[in-house]
Amino acid sequence: MAIIEEPLAIGSGDAVSETVDRPLGDLTRPQISHTWRDWLSTVDHKKIGIMYGAAALFFFVIGGAEALLIRLQLATPNGTLLSPDVYNQVFTMHGVTMIFLVAMPMAAAFANYLLPLQIGARDVAFPRLNALSFWVFLFGGLFLNSAWLLGGGADGGWFNYAPNSTVTFSPSHGIDFYALGLQITGIASLMSAINLITTVLNMRPKGMTMFRMPVFTWMNLVVQFLLLFAVPVISVALFELTFDRLFDANFFNTEAGADPLLWQHLFWIFGHPEVYILILPSFGIVSEVIPVFSRKPIFGYSFMVFSGIAIGFMGWGVWAHHMFVSGIGPISVAAFSLSTMFIAVPTGVKILNWLATIWGGRLRFTTAMLFAVGVVSMFTIGGLSGVTHSIAPADTQQTDTYYIVAHFYYVIFGGTLLGFFAGFYFWWPKMFGYMLNERVGKWNFWLQIVGFNLTFGPMHILGLQGMSRRIDSYDKGFGFELWNLVATVGAFIIAASVALFLVNIAISRRQWKAAGSPNPGPDPWDSRSLEWMTASPTPEHNFDEEIEVEGLDEFWHRKYGYDENHHVVRIATAEEVAQDGSNTNVHLPSPSYFPILLAAGFPIIAYGLIFSLWLCIPGAALLVYGMVGWIFEHPDDPNAAHGHDHDHDDDDPDAIESGGEEEDQGELVVAGATTETEA
Amino acid sequence: MTPISPAIRKALRLLAVVVVAFVLASCADDAELDTLGEQLAGPEARDIGSFMTWILWICYLVFAIVLGITLYAWKNFRIKTDDYEEGDWPEQVHGNTTAELAWTAAPAILLAVVAVFTLGLHSSLNSTDDNAISLVVGEETVAWEPEVVVVGQQWWWEYQYHFGDVDLVAKRVENLPAADLTTATQMVIPVGMEIELEITSRDVIHSHWIPSLNGKRDAVPGRQSAPWKIQADEPGVYFGQCTEFCGLSHSRMRMQVIALPMDQFQAWVTAQMEGVALDAADQAYVDALVAGDTPTPENSTQRAIATFRGKCASCHLMENVADDLWSSERVAEQLVSGVAPNLTHFSSRTTFAGGIRNVWDPDTGLFNANDVRSWLQNPESIKANYTEPVSEGDSRMRGMPNLGLSTQEIDDLVALLESTGPKPSPEIITETGVE
Repeated sequence: MAIIEEPLAIGSGDAVSETVDRPLGDLTRPQISHTWRDWLSTVDHKKIGIMYGAAALFFFVIGGAEALLIRLQLATPNGTLLSPDVYNQVFTMHGVTMIFLVAMPMAAAFANYLLPLQIGARDVAFPRLNALSFWVFLFGGLFLNSAWLLGGGADGGWFNYAPNSTVTFSPSHGIDFYALGLQITGIASLMSAINLITTVLNMRPKGMTMFRMPVFTWMNLVVQFLLLFAVPVISVALFELTFDRLFDANFFNTEAGADPLLWQHLFWIFGHPEVYILILPSFGIVSEVIPVFSRKPIFGYSFMVFSGIAIGFMGWGVWAHHMFVSGIGPISVAAFSLSTMFIAVPTGVKILNWLATIWGGRLRFTTAMLFAVGVVSMFTIGGLSGVTHSIAPADTQQTDTYYIVAHFYYVIFGGTLLGFFAGFYFWWPKMFGYMLNERVGKWNFWLQIVGFNLTFGPMHILGLQGMSRRIDSYDKGFGFELWNLVATVGAFIIAASVALFLVNIAISRRQWKAAGSPNPGPDPWDSRSLEWMTASPTPEHNFDEEIEVEGLDEFWHRKYGYDENHHVVRIATAEEVAQDGSNTNVHLPSPSYFPILLAAGFPIIAYGLIFSLWLCIPGAALLVYGMVGWIFEHPDDPNAAHGHDHDHDDDDPDAIESGGEEEDQGELVVAGATTETEA
Repeated sequence: MTPISPAIRKALRLLAVVVVAFVLASCADDAELDTLGEQLAGPEARDIGSFMTWILWICYLVFAIVLGITLYAWKNFRIKTDDYEEGDWPEQVHGNTTAELAWTAAPAILLAVVAVFTLGLHSSLNSTDDNAISLVVGEETVAWEPEVVVVGQQWWWEYQYHFGDVDLVAKRVENLPAADLTTATQMVIPVGMEIELEITSRDVIHSHWIPSLNGKRDAVPGRQSAPWKIQADEPGVYFGQCTEFCGLSHSRMRMQVIALPMDQFQAWVTAQMEGVALDAADQAYVDALVAGDTPTPENSTQRAIATFRGKCASCHLMENVADDLWSSERVAEQLVSGVAPNLTHFSSRTTFAGGIRNVWDPDTGLFNANDVRSWLQNPESIKANYTEPVSEGDSRMRGMPNLGLSTQEIDDLVALLESTGPKPSPEIITETGVE
């Protein structure tokens, strides 16, 4: 029953545990418990996914508050709520927060939680590395936002063009926080990408071929590859910027002969794949939600997968469309104009395939379905305005105006964020064991869609009327007054809808408790993929036994068959097919404190680089301690911490030692346990 | 699940009416920076605008199709029930390769057509033609192929005119030959002619954009724009705004293009080539100061000249008043960009303070002494500047500091600035109003 391919089974815990009994300075390896401390040491991909989601929501509230400040400032001409200096910090931090600390980790939340489940795996390939990714991301995000308390946030825009980002033009420490903070979160993204790619490639159970994986898994696999190649580029640029600002390295100092377009190329070679990093997870969610609530399989599975891959590849060849007016040569402009135009083709295929999926279906407009269908139409607007920018001559009028702002909000809000909301409502029962209230959910959706269109729809008009981006105020008389006011009203409607979502979490939970905590069952939506084939909420060990997969939508095919007229007939209930999660004899990787300890070293080093190099020493020491401890940490005890309902004495070190010497490991080797020692 | 209640339906209908009303209301707006529509005044901007209008119609159509299919599906395929077991199962269609190939090919073909027109327009925007005009500059007549060097710095635009056949490719603006004429925040061009722009910057990246005449082009330090051009077919005032984020006062970095008929343009050039015209007594006062004497100022103009030479001339050039005191090295010690607006013909312009205030009141046609006075009293009250030293050991500023001028000094300077002239025509002044 090992959920693992043969080569990885080599080198299970035995060898290490025999040679290293009690490594120097080791912490007692914690056991799975159910206290708050467990969250600090967990290596469970589901808990890590939930923590990613919670952190992203936390930063979403911060970024949202910044958005409201921006809209209040721009509600009327010559706004005076924020000074120009503060405004520049607020819009910069809003963008950085929403992209790096909300959209990316929220996608990571879904990917972490669902990827192993959707392919039928026990956990990710490297559970401790997964925990490390999360903690590094969280500390990076907190570090970035701590700039507000230590002299002000970055003020150069999320794109942070050189040479406006050099000390001469931005003397505060804001941009140092930006450069170092994003390097830290970049480390998290890279580790997570390696982990999830390995998981998807190596940890699929028998029969789960690549082309039997759900579209969501596919889209996230593409995203992880994009991250793997894109993040190093921005990391190099940020590293150079850091050295420029702290040690006069002169990478971007034009007075010393640098060419400021270097930064633009580096930034956008990362920045455009980044756009697809933000949107593809949401495409994946929509591709899961729409078939379930249409009672039809996804239309053109292979077109969906290959268009996603095509977007991933083509996404590397369009970056300079952000630079059409920067003075790159006319031939370059023409080439990137064409490549950008044609990336609309695979995107269009996705839209039409979703429409073909709902066509002739039996549509049930649950909140999740509403949000998913909302993505299809709202993203279409964003895609179409994207085509208008790809026309380089038109872009010379549009770039850096609110028309661009409108475009990317229809993509990132109308696509990514609405997709996440679809995902919340869809997978909530699987993650937390209770359903979100559908009535409140529908209010949530309609408020969201109305607020969203009121906020960002008018920005198309404002942009075409010539309103520039990133301006802290505008004068009367240019025709900007009305639509800015409408946009501000819309922004508060969005805020109300997000608040309603948070309220929905609370009241749904209360209603559920009041009703005696009924279990929603493994499969409340009559779904298709493997994550619904186990109990809700997902048991700690995911699946009681390995699922042998025979086709796409495996779970659905176990529930339904066809009669002689090729009509769908039910052959089994979900409860009959799904596993009940009762197996307690599963060996899970033990938790570890080293990921959080190691991660804590990064922000300390970063503070040291900004304020006093001496501080780098304890930071680096913590980092090294974390690494060494990690390497020599006791391997898992196959008898300890098995399953979710053991009553093991967590703090008894003897239990670990004696456990390590027990011999029954051979038949219990599972994914997490064996790879753990190599992570 | 629950169908939309009649009340919500009514509310949505009302909302639609309101949205349409808003759209109609906005069309009536006078939007000076609009990129589509009536007030486009140059061939480039009009070509882009009409192409964009076509594209927008295609986009509306595509969106209508997508939304139409969605709404049709909503209306016809919806199951109104809370029971997940209820209802039959439709035919399980897994795909249709022909259909999918068709809707892969259709957008590709549509985009290929768009691409052809795009490339055509792109190449016409990036071409230039030879159109030398003859212009009297000082004593001599020169053949001038209209070309203006546009230099951005925090937070205003400088326009340099190099008449005659001058090589203007130098990458760094400091290496360009000395300009014949320099103005600030306002570019004056002859009407109906293609003007080539060499756009660059002295500090950070800016972007030069006159939406009525053409798209924008970034001003990148250490680089000159590949050929970029504007043309105005009608005389008038065209507004612009810096569109690349450039720091603290990015939103207050604006500019105007004034297109004049050829004879008026010639007159403008002639006037700009002269220094400030002073009467005999004031000229004698200046000459004495230049010679190193310290005569006592006897009237407002002379007091203003003394103040200007004492407090303004280390950054600002005013020819025939303080040009002997001005040197680029001296400015570079005080300002990061190394340059401040040339004030020689301040009141011949329509706009100052980075293009956000009128020199002449568009309603009354009178000198806008109030704003000039406020600016001299405290520039920060009008436009945010960075007047702290950049860092330890680097005391250069970005923007104009508060010089602590007395009321008397300000009044004198306002009068001097008003007299620098020549005043723009009343039509031009009226057109600078945006209400």
